[in-house]
Amino acid sequence: MIGRWSAASIRARLTGWYALVLMAMLLVYATATYVAVRHEFLEQLDEQLHGEFETLEGRLARMPDGRITWGDEGRQDPDHEPERVFELWSPAGEQLQRSGADVSLPPTVLATASSSYRYETVRSNGERWRSLTGSVTVDGQSVVLRAARSEERVLGQLREVLVVLVFGLPLIVMLAGVGGYVLARRALQPIDHLASEAHRITAEQLHQRLSVPNQHDEIGRLAAVINSTLARLEGSFDQLRRFTADASHELRTPLAVVRGIGEAAVAKRRTALEYEEAIGSMLEEVDRMSNLVDTLLRLSRGDARTIKPTHQLTDLGELAKEAASSLGILAEDRHQTIDVSVNGGVVVSVDRLILREALTNILDNAIKYSPNASAIQIRVERVGDRAVIAVTDQGPGVALEHREVIFDRFFRVDQSRTRNGGGAGLGLAIAKWAVQLHGGELTAQDGSRGGSEFRIVLPTGSISPITDEHLSHADPRGGTS
Amino acid sequence: MSAQHLATMVAVRVLVVEDEPKLAQVLRSALRAEHYDVVIAATGEDGFFRANAEVFDLVVLDLMLPGRSGLEILQALRTRRIETPVLILTARDGVEDRVLGLDLGADDYLVKPFALPELLARIRALLRRGRTSEILRFKVADLELDLVTRRAARNGELLDLTLREFELLEYLLRHQGHVVSREMLVREVWKEPRRATPIDNVIDVQITRLRKKVDADGAARLIHTVRGVGFMLREGEP
Repeated sequence: MIGRWSAASIRARLTGWYALVLMAMLLVYATATYVAVRHEFLEQLDEQLHGEFETLEGRLARMPDGRITWGDEGRQDPDHEPERVFELWSPAGEQLQRSGADVSLPPTVLATASSSYRYETVRSNGERWRSLTGSVTVDGQSVVLRAARSEERVLGQLREVLVVLVFGLPLIVMLAGVGGYVLARRALQPIDHLASEAHRITAEQLHQRLSVPNQHDEIGRLAAVINSTLARLEGSFDQLRRFTADASHELRTPLAVVRGIGEAAVAKRRTALEYEEAIGSMLEEVDRMSNLVDTLLRLSRGDARTIKPTHQLTDLGELAKEAASSLGILAEDRHQTIDVSVNGGVVVSVDRLILREALTNILDNAIKYSPNASAIQIRVERVGDRAVIAVTDQGPGVALEHREVIFDRFFRVDQSRTRNGGGAGLGLAIAKWAVQLHGGELTAQDGSRGGSEFRIVLPTGSISPITDEHLSHADPRGGTS
Repeated sequence: MSAQHLATMVAVRVLVVEDEPKLAQVLRSALRAEHYDVVIAATGEDGFFRANAEVFDLVVLDLMLPGRSGLEILQALRTRRIETPVLILTARDGVEDRVLGLDLGADDYLVKPFALPELLARIRALLRRGRTSEILRFKVADLELDLVTRRAARNGELLDLTLREFELLEYLLRHQGHVVSREMLVREVWKEPRRATPIDNVIDVQITRLRKKVDADGAARLIHTVRGVGFMLREGEP
């Protein structure tokens, strides 16, 4: 039953709940109304009785013959007074006078002879009568006066009210249900529309977007969110395509070289030295290719988020010194100096190895592009709630149009530099990925001393694991997000 | 105490379970060159049968095989309490794959494409396991290195080496006569988890410097570059 209920459309469920709630509310309302009306009716009846009693009481007088009467003997016609009865009794229980409907009410007895009143409901011939009894003193003689009215009319009216309530309530709920269903359908129609539109969009048509009828309402916002998801997806797909194309190009080049060398070597008989030279050359290309494949695999694992960082508290100053000393020999070879300045202890929870790789790649880049005998500076400091590692060099700097794409995979500033100098243009892409894995940002800008400055900015609270939300903005493929 | 000496004394039998014919051929010739007695099994079934029926000193096992998987063979060996060292070759380097292999009782693993020098070094290490005492002095031609005094000398003359240069020289000496790949240097000498361009460059510079000190002008060359493969320390041309 529950299964069927949850399988029903939102529309049906909405209507169902709506009707149920309305029903409950109306039931409470109707009950309260009925109780109030009934109370009011009966109160009115009592008031009427009371008025009549008093009027009659005022008219009581002692006749010359000693009888006590309200006079007006003529009002005996039961047809005129089918709903009223007036009776006058002696304290001894003897009826003195009577007028009104022709019913015999059970005799009434006042428990106390004092001038108290008593309301009571009595039955006569299956009818309910309301009677007010009171003892009255006329000229020192005590009598008992009773005024009674049939309740039947009031009860009849109440029955009518009940009928209206009992039959009207389901009708109202039914009408409201139908109305609610229609409204729910109208409200949910845009979602159906959205669903059928979204259904059309496949991987091949990622450029398509959902139409946004009103971008301020809930549906519009939903459509906008789906659209931005599509945009991101499209971006990722584009990057993937570009990346695949670049990767196959990068792999084809060494393959072509290997093939060329091999073909040239077997074209004619050669000396052992020449063969050795050819084989060595081929092996170099193979080595280059396997490195490339390793790196690509690593990046794709990063994309798929199968690489889980193992966080540990790390002194970034120490990390910078470590990176500087591991590449120190490269700088030394070109008479460059690497200066590490640490502004206070900056200890952050990071994956030490992954972050060091990022720093090493950036530093390697700085060494490669800086002129001989220049100075490279690594600055580690805390800025607000962020940790910053800035690598400044005295190289040619990064052109404005390259500041984003420099982190793209396979990007090289100088396209002719493809063969020598090492690397396939993946170092900075890996660095960027590594920094973003920590919820940080890697940017390139102008250095204060002419060259470029690469800044790693890390949240110091990166103890907390990064959320998917964060990663979805951080594109591990490069800086074009 | 190199594997060669061991091999000449007793023929070391190595079973290679590899289905790719070219790779099997390469392994056969490379291992034969090291004077091992090589048996090739080209299918999982054959490998399974031979590993169970014959006695080997070492098994080189490809994980992806037709018929029976390498892991099955390994498992069968270990359940029968055959403790022959097993070196796994795999194209998958996911952590889970490696852990699975090692958990099932493999002694070492190499990810394809591997460098032959590295495979040979691993095999030597596995065969040597628990057999040799620690070597504290190395001597090749007139190059000497003492691990106790942490000194190295060429032709009686003390070499002024940095810590890294000393470690590098020690590693080359430990593998004298064998090629040492960059991967091996990155992992064993630089203690880095993986090879990367910066480290490659550092190795190049470091080797150049070490060579300048060890093979100073006039002396016979000991540190050789094997193009596209790595480096080798030995007397005379390779």
